[in-house]
Amino acid sequence: MTTALNVKDIRKTFGSNEVLKGISLTANQGDVISILGSSGSGKSTFLRCINLLETPDSGEVTVSGETILMRKRSNGLSEPADIKQVERIRASLGMVFQSFNLWSHLTILENLIEAPVHVQKRNRAEVILEAEALLERVGIADKRNFYPSHLSGGQQQRAAIARALCMRPKVMLFDEPTSALDPELVGEVLRVMRSLAEEGRTMLVVTHEMAFARDVSSRVMFLHKGLVDCEGPPSELFSNPKSDRFRQFISGH
Amino acid sequence: MDVDFLSSTFFRLMAALPLTLALWALAVFFGGLLALGITFLRTRKDAVLPRIAKAYVFVFRGTPLLVQLYLIYYGLGSVKWIQQSYLWPFLREPFYCAVLALSMNTAAYASEIFRGSLAAVPYGQVEAGIACGMSRFTAFRRIIFPIALRQALPAYSTEIILMTKATALASLVTLFEVTGVAQKIKNDSYRALEVYLVAGLIYLVLNFIIARGIAALEYYLSPHLRSTPRAYRIPDPSEVL
Repeated sequence: MTTALNVKDIRKTFGSNEVLKGISLTANQGDVISILGSSGSGKSTFLRCINLLETPDSGEVTVSGETILMRKRSNGLSEPADIKQVERIRASLGMVFQSFNLWSHLTILENLIEAPVHVQKRNRAEVILEAEALLERVGIADKRNFYPSHLSGGQQQRAAIARALCMRPKVMLFDEPTSALDPELVGEVLRVMRSLAEEGRTMLVVTHEMAFARDVSSRVMFLHKGLVDCEGPPSELFSNPKSDRFRQFISGH
Repeated sequence: MDVDFLSSTFFRLMAALPLTLALWALAVFFGGLLALGITFLRTRKDAVLPRIAKAYVFVFRGTPLLVQLYLIYYGLGSVKWIQQSYLWPFLREPFYCAVLALSMNTAAYASEIFRGSLAAVPYGQVEAGIACGMSRFTAFRRIIFPIALRQALPAYSTEIILMTKATALASLVTLFEVTGVAQKIKNDSYRALEVYLVAGLIYLVLNFIIARGIAALEYYLSPHLRSTPRAYRIPDPSEVL
């Protein structure tokens, strides 16, 4: 098995608040890793450190064997050494946000082809074909010429997933993709994510959906106060929680 | 009602309209460019540049346009070294002075409009661009600017309309644009009511056209704010016939 993503000892402090106290993770090709934790445990920050939406204070991120080059600033914190490299690696990590963040001035189809055409410089006509197939797949092909504001939350999130897929990412990052949705819309998004998992995509999912974590993911990671409290295959972890914290956490859900 | 007088006034005023339009168009163009520059300075993370931009806005928004116009036309014209500088061929012409004053004045207001519309671009959409690997420049060109432009238009269109009326002040530095000519006709005929009614009507129609133009642009740029596009539907034969 090849390593798709390797994250080593990520630390991050906001002001005096140490949010991440050294978190590591290795995802092999096809792994679906659910990252759980109560709010404030640092799970979203950790995900955002992987594609450097947040710059970690220290630590290392390696995507498909390529390590993001960091250098030390005068205050001891790290910063990316080569922004071009960061941009290239970001393009290989598909990110799905809690609040969708579709571009409001572009149609759904335009949203999908924007980055492939303007970042990856791929052929527009080919990307359009691929985008249409992806919209078909997530079940909103008929909405291609609609604008995001014309869609329901669930449709917007499915469009956002298709937008990320259209970049042909090596790893998909989901940041609480269903937390902003009405309960009846959660299912349609989870179905899409489940089908992605089944086709063997490498996925990191920050989520509160216990059923998804238990049934779909190959590994579960539970964060507490900026540290990995416990991790393992969901079958083991859920039936026999290794820590009291995790037992408490899942009993509350 | 003296139809002959009204129509001759109308045609004389219309003959002055090109000058009004030239003042307006140049001021909107150069003022817009200057405003972009000021907005750029204002949004820098720097100790000095934003302050320069702030000071500019403070001065040009805080003083009357007429005072600015007099300062540029009469004030600068009385300074010796300016009379000897290569700027003098421009600064001795009332037309260029008026364009300069109008541009600098509108730039102060427009830069504040642009700054607000930039700040109101939803950060999540910018972040989505960054997460896709966009460079800062690409994110600005493809995401931030198009969204900011749409957000700026309603307020900026008001500024553009204000500019047509501000050109009337150019009559006070000897320019015979619409208001200047109206002034002259009134002085010759003592028929202020008719003359200024016609002048007012010309501005009104002019602004109506400009407002419609901007509204059309706004409509064209904001399909996402309209209702859901209708699915293509084969029309019923009875509707066609």
